Amino acid sequence: MDTRSTQLLKGTLDMCLLATIAQRPCYGYEMVQKLAQQGLDLVSEGSIYPLLSRLQHHGYIEGYLVSSRDGPKRKYYRLLPEGAKQLEQWQIEWEAFAQAVEQILKGERSDEQSRPAHTATDLRSR
Amino acid sequence: MNRADQHTQQQISDLVEACAGYWELRGIARESSTEMQLELEQHLQQAVSDGKSLEAVLGPNPAAFAEAWAREMHPRFWRGGARVLHGLVYALSVVSTTALISQVLAHSPSFTFTIFAAYLLTGSGLLALLLQLGGFLSPRISTRQGREALMLAGVVLAVLVLRLAGMKVNWSMALLSWSWPMTILLLALAALLFSLDFWRTSNGGHTTSARRVPTLRYVTIFIASVAVFDVMMFVASVAVFDFCRLALRLV
Repeated sequence: MDTRSTQLLKGTLDMCLLATIAQRPCYGYEMVQKLAQQGLDLVSEGSIYPLLSRLQHHGYIEGYLVSSRDGPKRKYYRLLPEGAKQLEQWQIEWEAFAQAVEQILKGERSDEQSRPAHTATDLRSR
Repeated sequence: MNRADQHTQQQISDLVEACAGYWELRGIARESSTEMQLELEQHLQQAVSDGKSLEAVLGPNPAAFAEAWAREMHPRFWRGGARVLHGLVYALSVVSTTALISQVLAHSPSFTFTIFAAYLLTGSGLLALLLQLGGFLSPRISTRQGREALMLAGVVLAVLVLRLAGMKVNWSMALLSWSWPMTILLLALAALLFSLDFWRTSNGGHTTSARRVPTLRYVTIFIASVAVFDVMMFVASVAVFDFCRLALRLV
């Protein structure tokens, strides 16, 4: 994944994790797999754990151990009501942000298309 | 899916152990640390089974990963303080019990804390710290015994270099001297700080399991480790100290 995508993901990873957990309770590795299926590959997968701890501290999610027949217990995370409210808030913020960025990008493209041909000629002649 | 080979399995165990040591240093409650280790180990196992590298999980710097996670596990005011408290409890317990034993056994009215005892206490503390931090060298030095041997060799080498450089220390020089009421006061302070440390270990952090640290086990391990250190101090001050002095005379 290129550096820009990495930076973008870094700023939104907590939101992505919360949204993933909101779909259904899951454990750390499962979250990484779900993100990868959506095309979001993490540079270091372990970076989700400090964020999960932060989300837990804020009371957005809670961890619980599930017994396994094959091996030791596994820690799952589930969404809490406070987390659901926060996710809703983040979604609103994200949509507004994404819309603003999209408008700027589209605006730049329409400027390029509507730019008169002589401007390019002038630049080349300098 | 591939099963991790023995070497990778060893690397996983060492990295998890190194992280656990680091979290202990950062004062993370044992219960929380156990859960973190469990999560990390399972993630690493599964990643390796799926053909990923350990670096894909921990990044290029495992110590930075351990620190990032530790930072999110602490209330901000408490960062770093836990280990200081833990070290202080040990140091106070060792000093006060050594003083009590020597005052009771020798019936002497006062106890003298020498530069040798201070050196031994500080040196042991530093070694304990380095041993835990040294765990992040695990991909290169794969066993704990290997790291301990390397650390010991480093200490011996440092002592020899200092000696050859002509450094001379009067080990029996008295730093402090106090009578038994002060010893009792130090013991009481150590007990108070120990209770605080135990309370912090039992209640700190958020864990999913309701299990608490078994009190009797915690207290027994603590008393045993202090007793071992007391014996070590005694043996070191009597036997090793004299042996070293004799050896140095011969050199």
